[in-house]
Amino acid sequence: MLAFIGRRLSLALLILFGSTYLTYQLAAFSGDPLAGLRESTDPKKDVIIAELTKTLQLDVPPPARYFLWLQKALTGDFGNTVILRLPVIDQIATAIPVTLRLVTTAAILSVVIGIGFGVLSAIRQYSRLDNSLTLLSFFLFSLPIFWIAVMLKEFMAIRFNDFLVNPTIDIWSNILISAVLAVIISGFVSGTRKRVLITWAITFGSLVTLFSLASVTAWFRFPSMGIFGIAILGVACSLGFTNIFSGLGNRKALGAGLASVVFGLIAYYPFQSLAGPGTNYELMIAFAVLMLSSSYFIGYFFTKIDKGPVIRVSMLSAFMVALFTVTDKLMQTWDAYFKLSDGRPIQTQGSYNITIKTNDFWINNLDLVTHLFLPTTALALGFAGYLRYSRASMLEVLNMDYIRTARAKGMPEREVVLRHAIRNAMLPLTTLLTFEVAGLIGGAIITEGIFGWRGMGSLSNEAIQSQDLNLLMATFAISAFLTIMATLVADLLYSVLDPRIRIRK
Amino acid sequence: MASLLKRKKNTQQPIEGNETGSSNLEVLGLSQGQIIRKRFFQHKPAVAGLIFMACFAIFVYTASGIHLGTDANPLTIKGWWQFAHTDLPPQGPCADGCPSATHPMGQLPNGRDYFSLVMRGSEISLMIMIVIGGLSALIGTVTGAVAGFFGGIIDSVMMRFTDFILTVPFILIGAVIGYNLGNFGVFPLAIFLGLFIWPGLARLVRGEFLSLREREFVDAARVAGASNRRIIFKHILPNSVGVIIVSTTLLLSSSILLESGLSYLGFGVQAPDVSLGALISTYQGEFIYAPWLFWWPGVIIIAIALSINFVGDGLRDAFDPRQRRRISRKERAVETGTRAQVNKS
Repeated sequence: MLAFIGRRLSLALLILFGSTYLTYQLAAFSGDPLAGLRESTDPKKDVIIAELTKTLQLDVPPPARYFLWLQKALTGDFGNTVILRLPVIDQIATAIPVTLRLVTTAAILSVVIGIGFGVLSAIRQYSRLDNSLTLLSFFLFSLPIFWIAVMLKEFMAIRFNDFLVNPTIDIWSNILISAVLAVIISGFVSGTRKRVLITWAITFGSLVTLFSLASVTAWFRFPSMGIFGIAILGVACSLGFTNIFSGLGNRKALGAGLASVVFGLIAYYPFQSLAGPGTNYELMIAFAVLMLSSSYFIGYFFTKIDKGPVIRVSMLSAFMVALFTVTDKLMQTWDAYFKLSDGRPIQTQGSYNITIKTNDFWINNLDLVTHLFLPTTALALGFAGYLRYSRASMLEVLNMDYIRTARAKGMPEREVVLRHAIRNAMLPLTTLLTFEVAGLIGGAIITEGIFGWRGMGSLSNEAIQSQDLNLLMATFAISAFLTIMATLVADLLYSVLDPRIRIRK
Repeated sequence: MASLLKRKKNTQQPIEGNETGSSNLEVLGLSQGQIIRKRFFQHKPAVAGLIFMACFAIFVYTASGIHLGTDANPLTIKGWWQFAHTDLPPQGPCADGCPSATHPMGQLPNGRDYFSLVMRGSEISLMIMIVIGGLSALIGTVTGAVAGFFGGIIDSVMMRFTDFILTVPFILIGAVIGYNLGNFGVFPLAIFLGLFIWPGLARLVRGEFLSLREREFVDAARVAGASNRRIIFKHILPNSVGVIIVSTTLLLSSSILLESGLSYLGFGVQAPDVSLGALISTYQGEFIYAPWLFWWPGVIIIAIALSINFVGDGLRDAFDPRQRRRISRKERAVETGTRAQVNKS
């Protein structure tokens, strides 16, 4: 194993050398860094050109110039950018956190949604839900991200901000929106047509009521959930988790989930008073750890046998309640933020609002959320890929003999799916996930460009546009390194997770 | 150096519904090709996608005519649409260039007919799609087949080469081609993109070859004295053609998106050539005032990619029925929500 890793690592270095070499040559032939200067009418342009040629070593042909770059890069010196003469390292150091902030949320969302829906789609193959999810995922596959981004900006930011001035929903749009949402929600219900119609009617009715209430109380302008809202949502979540992981018949799991919700509600008021404007991330982490650890013990002590699903239910319920509590706090900040942002809270450009200068933890985070909203939505549409992959691999597994055996021995279908099928079906997805993680740092060139985030993606785009070899090579070397490592990690992980696949000497 | 990862023999090859034999009756007495065709034509969205693609391609290529030859002596067969994409007809009945009878997709401020531009863009996008897809299918299949069949050091070398190709950023290829070969039109761009997009396909084909070469029929062929070439072309390749065709269709749809993404960034199709991506990129600012300029190219990209995806799905179903599942009564019971009763009984 160690020999294998060593061999692959040395090979990886070789590949990295080869691909940086090729990229350097390609980049050197992708344009003339002095083109802009040559056309300028500056009387001193000959001097500047001579000087730039010297500092960028343009007199050395690219195949040899690469080695000059490599020599410096190996000592950790990636040079300066061409135009502003700033150290490349600093540029990258500021770009990586921006990119991570942008891409991480979207990646987590798309993986969770994609795998969840994919599994659901597979266990209900050829049902109404499966067909609609297939159609949806193909549609999302075919969607150019820059096209959807323009529409998101128009409909989810500009029109929404206009709507906030007078946040009342007229009755016809209320009915229309509720009807569409109810169709989507009732699509998840399986069973006879009658059952689906009843679900649709109930959902539709409650949605119309909810939207009317929201309209009357101007909820979109002054949003809040309050302890009662959190209680209702928490109980709903805990029922849902119990239904998924152990079935509502399992009273222990149900009890543990509800106990965790109650615990979270007890923590609501202390949290509200503790987490003032001057709070910090340490307190948030402490809150999360407290909620998760105590819910773990709630689950642990609630039952003596089969602790796994019970603990899972109680921890997930506590997590959701904690999430709602924090969201509620953010909602309470909405009004202040609304005024600070001149009534245009949802932003279409940039990663933060430069006019807002405050130390208020909640306002700063709400600012981050409003800026993240559009690009995250656009990127999270990538869940379609995970949906297709997890559906395919789940179907493959569900046809295996061991699944038939598990069913034949009388195991409940839920256990068959959760214990035997999902775990095996997720194996091939490890490869996909490692590449996703590697791609996180590389950034999303198009999305960053559209939404004006200055992360790794826009940095490399800028580098190519301005023929900045130092900047380009640094960003590229990082993402190439991560890609190569991802292939190695994927191969290793796969052989660790699936003992049928062996690394051969 | 030995092959690094090796899939254990995959001896089991479930056939649809073989435990009851009911589905076998459907395919009794049919050849492999007939079975696949039959399954494909049962998949309605796939057939619809195929018909749409065929009609759309004919529509596009007859609308703007066929352009061959060089700029100096063009060889053009005129299409049925009255305007060429370079014409500057006078402003139509609609003052701000909105769609009308003479200009069904509207006009640009300088009078250019947008329909002919979109047709020209679709033509180029389709061409790029086919070149990229064909080239990368060829390279990917050959690389994957050789690596998977021979294994050992050949496999290691070729798969590390694949990793190497995987690290080259597309945007850079677009930039190089745009700068050096920009005046040769879009063909070089398509060729070079095709030279770099194949690693995913190669990995899939390699995996397929790795598992197929361990099967009994390959051993039998070898014992009978078949050469490597014969085994590859006569025995293994026909068995892996499903994987190749399916991933090639998916490659086609991703290459049209790749082209439009690159054109959006300014590294794809360069003016005066147009493509669907380039059109969106140019007119995205008009979304409020002239939305038709923005809608049409996007809708066409989606329609093309969507129908190709459906064709791919249909092909996958036809070639690889393993993912099809006979829904048993018990599962049907689960679906209708009467699971609890089933478990109790």
